Amino acid sequence: MQTTEGHLRALMIDGLGGDAAAHAALLRLLVPLLRGFYRRRVRGADDDIEDMVQDTLIAVHTRRATYDPERAFTAWLYAVARYKMIDHFRRVGRLRPIDDLADSLVADEFEASSIARLDINDLLEQLPPKQARMIRAIRLEGLSVAEAASAEGIGESDVKVSVHRGLKALMARVHGAVR
Amino acid sequence: MNTDDLIQTLAGDTRPVARNSIARRLVVGVFAGGVASALMIMASIGVRPDLGAAMQGASFWLKWGYTLSLSIAALMTTAQLARPDSGRLRGLWALATPVMLLGVVGLVELAQTPHSQWMAMWLGHSWKSCPWLVLSLSVPIFVGLLWSFRRLAPTRLRAAGAAAGLAAGAFAATVYCIHCPEVSAIFVLTWYSLGMLLAAFLGMIVGPRLLRW
Repeated sequence: MQTTEGHLRALMIDGLGGDAAAHAALLRLLVPLLRGFYRRRVRGADDDIEDMVQDTLIAVHTRRATYDPERAFTAWLYAVARYKMIDHFRRVGRLRPIDDLADSLVADEFEASSIARLDINDLLEQLPPKQARMIRAIRLEGLSVAEAASAEGIGESDVKVSVHRGLKALMARVHGAVR
Repeated sequence: MNTDDLIQTLAGDTRPVARNSIARRLVVGVFAGGVASALMIMASIGVRPDLGAAMQGASFWLKWGYTLSLSIAALMTTAQLARPDSGRLRGLWALATPVMLLGVVGLVELAQTPHSQWMAMWLGHSWKSCPWLVLSLSVPIFVGLLWSFRRLAPTRLRAAGAAAGLAAGAFAATVYCIHCPEVSAIFVLTWYSLGMLLAAFLGMIVGPRLLRW
């Protein structure tokens, strides 16, 4: 299943309404996201990572009143996750060596790119499945047209047309949303 | 504890959350603290004997208007800082407006008063104690706000502490009006505000320690 901003947000809003199943589903989906978030930033034992993941899950639960349903869920989530990471370092009382710092600054792009990826997933979900698959293959995974065509079992021109139509539909949607 | 078990436990405690629950929690914290402050006044310095009569005069409502509007503006700022993704603060003009309005009233009052009485009007009878009383009365309110913050998620702890301190100070000043007999706008503008600023400063200092979560 795809983990999209829209999906997470819908689960969060249901959870805020008191739906325990939606809330549990949300927390389960957050586990891999948070593990990825911390692994890229913290060079440490898996135990440390799992501690931070659990701390963040607890915070997401106990402090969920601070999520504003009008705003992006992932931005809220990563703000909580970042705070928990800083808090973890403060508690451990460990000063990070300077060469680590450069790493963590670079890794900050991870957040932006993962939010962007969630947005892209959201958008692609609105397209016909074939167009979405072809855009993923050519534009995101970097396959050649020939490779994508043989993987899908269709002609090369069909691939090109799917990508073209899909992108055009996406552009129209994005412009519509901006306006 | 295993992460899956943790999720089970957390999900078992899924209660509905009202949309305005941040505001509600802050207001409950402030009011609970305010009741404690009022009790503190009754037990120590006492309510002014002419409170009923004073409440019919303009200067009492001028003071309350000032302190209450600052309380509300500071609470609105606090509510923004209670979210982890607070971003840029909006509505800070709401904090400046009451100060400027009271400043205008103060200038008008000064213009209508002979120079020789300016000093007496500014210092009143209680300028030495007023800021400290406001600061002391803000402590229970700040404690009330600490309770509110137990379900909130500030990430800029200094700013959140300062905003909560200012809200506590402004509401403490509101409560203090049931004791304080001073009437001049320039007195309130100086000494009440000084008490509130002290509270905000204290909040800024203790914020990173007490608002951690």
